[in-house]
Amino acid sequence: MNKIATPIPEDLIRKMFRRFTEEEIIPRAREMDEANEFPRWMFEKVARTGAYGIRYSPRVGGGGGNTTQFCVMVEELARGSMSVAAFTAMQCLMGTNFLYEYGTPDHHERLFKPAIRGEKVASFALTEADAATDLAGVKTIARQDGDEWIINGSKTWITNAPCADFFTVLCQTDKSKGLRGLNFFLIERGTPGLYVSKKFDKLGTRATEISELAFTDVRVPFENRLGKEGQGVSNLMRMLGVIRAMTAALSLGLARAAYEHAARYAMERTQFGKKIGSFQLVQQKIANMATEIWASQLMVYKVTEMIDRGERPLKEASMAKYFASEVACRAADEATRVFGAYSYSMEYDVQRFYRDCRFLLFGGGTSEILQTIISRECGVF
Amino acid sequence: MNIVVLVKQVPNTHDVRIDPKTGNLIREGVESIINPEDRHALEAALGIKDRLGAEITALTMGPPQAIEVICEAVATGADRGILLSDKAFAGADTWATSTALGLAIKRIGEFDIILAGRQAIDGDTAQIGPQVAEFLGIPQLTYVRDLEVLEGKITAERVLEDGCERIEAPFPVLLTVLAALNEPRHPTVAGMLRSASERAPIEVWNAADIGAKALDVGFLGSLTQVTRTFTPKEARNTRHLEGSPGSVAAQLIQCLQEQGIRLGE
Ligand SMILES: Cc1cc2nc3c(=O)[nH]c(=O)nc-3n(C[C@H](O)[C@H](O)[C@H](O)COP(=O)(O)OP(=O)(O)OC[C@H]3O[C@@H](n4cnc5c(N)ncnc54)[C@H](O)[C@@H]3O)c2cc1C
Ligand SMILES: Cc1cc2nc3c(=O)[nH]c(=O)nc-3n(C[C@H](O)[C@H](O)[C@H](O)COP(=O)(O)OP(=O)(O)OC[C@H]3O[C@@H](n4cnc5c(N)ncnc54)[C@H](O)[C@@H]3O)c2cc1C
Repeated sequence: MNKIATPIPEDLIRKMFRRFTEEEIIPRAREMDEANEFPRWMFEKVARTGAYGIRYSPRVGGGGGNTTQFCVMVEELARGSMSVAAFTAMQCLMGTNFLYEYGTPDHHERLFKPAIRGEKVASFALTEADAATDLAGVKTIARQDGDEWIINGSKTWITNAPCADFFTVLCQTDKSKGLRGLNFFLIERGTPGLYVSKKFDKLGTRATEISELAFTDVRVPFENRLGKEGQGVSNLMRMLGVIRAMTAALSLGLARAAYEHAARYAMERTQFGKKIGSFQLVQQKIANMATEIWASQLMVYKVTEMIDRGERPLKEASMAKYFASEVACRAADEATRVFGAYSYSMEYDVQRFYRDCRFLLFGGGTSEILQTIISRECGVF
Repeated sequence: MNIVVLVKQVPNTHDVRIDPKTGNLIREGVESIINPEDRHALEAALGIKDRLGAEITALTMGPPQAIEVICEAVATGADRGILLSDKAFAGADTWATSTALGLAIKRIGEFDIILAGRQAIDGDTAQIGPQVAEFLGIPQLTYVRDLEVLEGKITAERVLEDGCERIEAPFPVLLTVLAALNEPRHPTVAGMLRSASERAPIEVWNAADIGAKALDVGFLGSLTQVTRTFTPKEARNTRHLEGSPGSVAAQLIQCLQEQGIRLGE
């Protein structure tokens, strides 16, 4: 019996999720976007691949994968549909991470494990009307009352809120402590006092649902505070590199989709008796897209490699997210130009890339705040 | 119940290109995939496992990188995988391939069902399934689009040129299946990560492991030899017809008649 090298796991994940995307997502992407609602059937289809558990230990039913493998997976999904990639990322990371790390065994059995099996939908709520880029502005209050917490306040722009079964919510427990007074709390759907608004009508990622949450004297047990008192923000910071790398990977997937559509169309469409791809100004667009996509890819997977080595490359993750999301927007923009009027037609996918890419600019930190952070890391502030 | 699934790694023929000078497939930069019908063979096995319980072994013969299709099969739910890989297997025609696969199945031991795709998208012969069944001396059900497993026997619907037939066979039996049989599931993340790790239940066997003699397998064991491959020339003779619709139609009818094509009365 001889030994042969097994494939590199991330290569296998890329190949299998590329095929999944081509067989299952791409043929239905437009339909999902037009339906303008959470496609639970697709959420369940993705669940059957075990995708939601990719980052978690096999002990809890996960795949035991690393950040590189997670990012490869969401990149491939994003090439087909940003909505599907976005709710997958939410379920894999932000929506479940605090429950995994700080939840009780009961939380694990009742909520976490069903969530990674795709039986429950997770959600993550930081943003408020006056606290978005500036998290220190969070006004939702959690007050301890015996062995319970009483929560009052509201959140907005919450992905999955209309369909989620549980929420990880950032609340203030001690205003005087500023960022050190912030903590995450688990709130389950159906808890008295929790109100979910009607879903937002929005430009892109229309197969995800977003709404507001309002809390009026919502009572949760003491153990629903996820993490030690005052460590909400520092726990969030530990995850931030992964969130940014992931958003960069989503951007990369969308940029590739825009590029592939543009490159194909450039070789099909003729004007002046020639393929438009034979015109140098069209070639310039293709060349710039391809070059920037390659640069994004190098940045994203360099950052994930650092994270997987146990480093916390916040500066590099910020750079990768900033760069890759801007590249995605440029690629989507250039693709619409290559398509001309047809990019303006709802019958072509390019308009969807053009709408969906805008989401990448805000989640995980806006370009402006990321530039501020990068400059500070460079010693200029 | 023990099931063996035969899977083959093939070039993704969406992007197959032929070198016009040598007539060979250009394999550089061409992605390798599992033969599409073999996913349906695997799904059939997994469906039986879900309903009745079974131990599934995925088997392939190929170069070292063919381990990927074995990983895929294990990641999708096969219990174990075996790659037959050895220089001695190189240059095999379908006869020698079937011999090697048949010897490997004998070494695997007891089996009830062998599942294969009908046809590989590259070699395209559809000979492997039937030849493996002959080698093992067991019944074969080919072109299967529906199947049912009952106590000790199997009922299958076979697609024929002019219809279909339902037939029954006892175990052990070999089936070759069509895509219409089922909708294959996707591999799982946990399965992929396990199958690409040291812990993978995957073995690599060489010619000695299956007791194959040099003259039985590979180039030496082949009954046929490829003397030349070439791309048939497509000589097209395009003529543009011009004029009013009526006159174009008349010209077209005349052209067709000149070619001896009968257009009805
Ligand atoms: C599709 C989508 C899904 C979302 N999902 C969620 C979710 O699930 N959970 C959640 O909590 N939130 C979610 N959000 C909210 C998202 O996190 C916020 O949009 C983000 O934090 C930015 O906040 P804002 O959009 O209110 O911008 P603001 O913070 O109001 O910023 C407005 C503008 O001012 C700039 N700006 C602000 N501060 C500075 C500064 N110091 N220096 C320079 N410029 C500055 C910003 O860059 C931006 O250009 C989602 C948003 C979208 C669009
Ligand atoms: C005359 C001749 C000479 C050849 N010489 C060479 C050569 O020099 N080098 C070379 O690389 N190839 C060579 N081949 C190709 C090779 O022999 C065939 O690809 C192989 O035998 C399988 O045949 P097929 O592709 O037609 O499979 P088919 O019979 O069409 O496949 C049907 C099913 O059988 C199973 N199956 C087929 N092949 C395998 C396998 N390898 N492992 C596991 N299951 C399998 C699968 O389930 C598949 O769906 C030659 C073929 C011929 C006809």
